[in-house]
Amino acid sequence: MNSKKRRVVLASIVGLSLIAAACGEDEGAQEPTTTPAAEQPTTTAGEGGGEEPTTTMADGGEMELAGGEVFVTGSSTVEPISVLVSELAGEMTGGQLAVTVEGPGTGDGFKKFCAGEADVTGGSRAIKDEEAATCAENGVEFVEIEVAIDGLTVATSPNNSAVECLDTAALYALIGPESEGFSNWSDANTIAGELGSAYADLPDAPLVITGPGPESGTYDTFVEFAIADHAEERGTEETTRVDYTQSPNDNLIVEGIEGNDTSLGWVGFAFYAAEAEKMKAIGIDTGDGCVVPTEETIADGSYGFSRSLYIYVNVQSAAENPAVASFVDLYLSDEGIAQVGEAGYVALPADRLEASRDAWASALS
Amino acid sequence: MALTSSITTSSANVVRAALTQGKRDIKGIAFAASLLLCLLASLGMLTILMWDVIATALPVFDKRSSGFLNNGMSNDPDKAGVADGIWGSLMIAAFVVILAFPVGIAAGVYLEEYAKPGKLTNFIQLAIRNLAGVPSVVYGILGLVVFVQALDGFTGGRSIIAAGITLAILVLPIIIITTAESIRAVPQGLREAGYGVGGTQWETTRDHVLPYAAPGILTGTMLAVARAMGEAAPLLLIGAITGRLATLPDASLIDRLQGKFTAMPVVIFGWANNANTPGELTGLTFEDLNAAAIVVLLGMVLVLNAAAILLRNRFERRRQA
Repeated sequence: MNSKKRRVVLASIVGLSLIAAACGEDEGAQEPTTTPAAEQPTTTAGEGGGEEPTTTMADGGEMELAGGEVFVTGSSTVEPISVLVSELAGEMTGGQLAVTVEGPGTGDGFKKFCAGEADVTGGSRAIKDEEAATCAENGVEFVEIEVAIDGLTVATSPNNSAVECLDTAALYALIGPESEGFSNWSDANTIAGELGSAYADLPDAPLVITGPGPESGTYDTFVEFAIADHAEERGTEETTRVDYTQSPNDNLIVEGIEGNDTSLGWVGFAFYAAEAEKMKAIGIDTGDGCVVPTEETIADGSYGFSRSLYIYVNVQSAAENPAVASFVDLYLSDEGIAQVGEAGYVALPADRLEASRDAWASALS
Repeated sequence: MALTSSITTSSANVVRAALTQGKRDIKGIAFAASLLLCLLASLGMLTILMWDVIATALPVFDKRSSGFLNNGMSNDPDKAGVADGIWGSLMIAAFVVILAFPVGIAAGVYLEEYAKPGKLTNFIQLAIRNLAGVPSVVYGILGLVVFVQALDGFTGGRSIIAAGITLAILVLPIIIITTAESIRAVPQGLREAGYGVGGTQWETTRDHVLPYAAPGILTGTMLAVARAMGEAAPLLLIGAITGRLATLPDASLIDRLQGKFTAMPVVIFGWANNANTPGELTGLTFEDLNAAAIVVLLGMVLVLNAAAILLRNRFERRRQA
């Protein structure tokens, strides 16, 4: 009796796994490896899938969104904006426009994007020549669209009253490749002085640095802003020192900066704005005096350490999959672009937004 | 049984008292105390950790009980939920149960009951033991190369099928080892009795050895499922989503299995990287949500373990009856 029961259980387990295997194989045979939402027929891309059957009117009534699946990868800095637009798309279409978003990092994003694995990728910097070459090799055509501005914030502990302002020469002296082994702010004075820094009187205090590691777009941007020019001038590598606390987790960087009275570090402006009471932003002097990062100084460009955030759209998938075109349409619409502020970034000035919309429109025509 | 053990304990005491002439065994007491201290220290750490996590998680369940369990991922701590993660983790557990259980148990039975002892069998056993110690990231790379890239027509690329098969393979050595250990613990007399009444090897294994070993096998398999549910590293390599997962509302089960996915450990990993801005409505941060997600994951694993214990007790009772 017992053994019979067990035999039934055993048989059903084996049966189930066979069925599962068989179903899977059938599916694989029927649906070759195409991009998601391949069930949608190919349409002319001009209006971003305007004539698709599965459309829902937007709140304003002027925009129609196609249904289907879209995959967005790329920068973890751009991810929050894309997630908000994705949620908006889901709400407006009752889930028919299904946009999956991840944020492994700008570099990883371009790898997937240029391999044709993603429809859209976010970048906290413009695409590099090597990356564009990979895209070209794989036949991935793309359009670059600027969507927001992010300020990089160099910060220290609120208890650090000795440092109010720095320039790139001082930052190079503190964090650049030649600073390895410096454990005191004043150690950097010699190099800062040689570079003609106006801030070569750094305090005699322990230097504890926390920042993102090389896998992060924020790291690349910092190198570009603060280090690259001086590294070229002095014939050193365009990189930072390696002996500082690196973390891909912005919260840990914030903790590192907060945790020591004479700390130094850098994060994206959104993270600084969220934890502003735990950190003191150091003003950046690019020659016209000290400018502290605020929404205003970032938008008007007077703050030196601000950067553009981009999305890159695969032109073929936008042409073949109306859902992709709809998603980008929504991204650049007034409602979509308003998510930039929601995500903690600075909105593009009107003329640059117009330029982005033009770039998208001409990519489709 | 109880009687004999109490006699041996008391006779041990009498002998000890005679040897030490009634003096106290200071070294023995110190040893026992240090053992107890180690136990309390590890229990204490666990209690502090659990207390911290649960205390942080409680407001989340209080303020957004149903939303937290029913919503998908989001960057807004007022809206974010663990539904995607729960679904993904349950599907992965299902793959482990369907794929790894039959294969692992069968392999374990073969190794113990059928394989002829020799160099080859020893080598295979050694290899399986080593496989059980291979770091999970290595299995992640295997999954990426084989199931995501080579077999992507069947798995759908970075999908739950690829993840499920990878994790099933990851826990396979554990299942084989625990099955083999449990079968080795079956008294030889049981087999001989089976053969003695004319049973074939298959009948003896099926009706006597396996039922006797069932409680041990069950414990091992459930630990394996719990391990699979807690893995994050291989899933990240395979491409679990950390931002927002969206599926079409009318997607079929096969579409969902071949589509993008996430799982509880990956949700927790992703949220640990989110900005800690408090939500406008609830004032909760992702740190709080993360604690709640950890409680949910612990709950899922505990339910599985409880199920295993119940099943094991049932098997044991039947065996004794």
